[in-house]
Amino acid sequence: MSDTLQTVGRMIQEVIGDDWDLDQAITTETSFGDDLELESIEFVSLAEALKEEYGAEVDFVGWLSTKELDEIIKLKVGDVVEFIDLCRSSN
Amino acid sequence: MAEVTVGGLRFHVQRLGPEGGVPVVFLHGLIMDNLSSWFFTAAPKVAAQQPVLLYDLRGHGKSERPATGYGVPDMVADLCGILDESLPADQRVELVGNSFGGLLALAFALARPERVRGLCLVDGQVHDEAFGPEMEASLGLEGRERDEMIARSFKDWLGRHSERKRNRLARNASELVHGTSLVRDIAHSAPPSAEDVGRVSCPVLALYGEHSDVRERGEDLAARLPNAQLEIIEGCTHSLLWEQTAQLEQRVLAWVGREPGPGEED
Repeated sequence: MSDTLQTVGRMIQEVIGDDWDLDQAITTETSFGDDLELESIEFVSLAEALKEEYGAEVDFVGWLSTKELDEIIKLKVGDVVEFIDLCRSSN
Repeated sequence: MAEVTVGGLRFHVQRLGPEGGVPVVFLHGLIMDNLSSWFFTAAPKVAAQQPVLLYDLRGHGKSERPATGYGVPDMVADLCGILDESLPADQRVELVGNSFGGLLALAFALARPERVRGLCLVDGQVHDEAFGPEMEASLGLEGRERDEMIARSFKDWLGRHSERKRNRLARNASELVHGTSLVRDIAHSAPPSAEDVGRVSCPVLALYGEHSDVRERGEDLAARLPNAQLEIIEGCTHSLLWEQTAQLEQRVLAWVGREPGPGEED
């Protein structure tokens, strides 16, 4: 498992908190909506956690601004991991 | 979590975008809604050009949920306090409100006109004499009828949900409706008079869905506002934010970024 996937996985667990299903493994193919059933307000918390972890290096909100709502709804953990790695490798 | 404390209550806020420029404050709807509906639609796009401030109304999302104090004047005071905490005292803002957020935006413009550069009402609820009784009737239901209403009106952008999640969200909404004085407080908030509405001199963009149940009252409101432009979005209902998201985002983006009108200053 890549470091980024591990970090994002930890953030997701923290955001979901008590409702976290311990048996659920987070992979790059895990979707935020259908698999994790993340509520939209929890997804906001995840965006905030990303900002705290990576700072200005990873402009998650800027990335969202380029996406249509349909794309955001279908996002998988791997999409976010890939975006983070891309930002960090170009800096 | 980013928070601002106003009147002893903790509010969840999100600030996006650059430092300079006219700030845009987004206001969400009642009960099932929170700041995420703007966070994942127009807010990031607007934040690419000017500062954005989002917050969860009291009792909603991740803001604190007091048992009482949900009248429209209370929520106007919350917004005043959040702006005072977040922005310079003389900074004017653009307000963009969806559904009840539109009603709140207009109430704020009446209370603090010097703070408002413009309003965008997205199928904004209209605070007339009928609004309170209608709201009390639809949200004051009991038992199964109530649960069915909540299930019907529930719409989260993530779409499909398991029974577990649906129940969790419905329970949360039910606690807000029945565990606080929200319905009574809003229903008993005095609507603005016709003279009041006629005094809102800032530019207003009123967007209503062609098939929205609020359309007729929205048209009437726009006609009474001195500086409003009304646009009807074809094929949409009250949920136009979700039905024509991309079109709405473009419209909001152009509106909040417009040049100041004659005699206006930024």
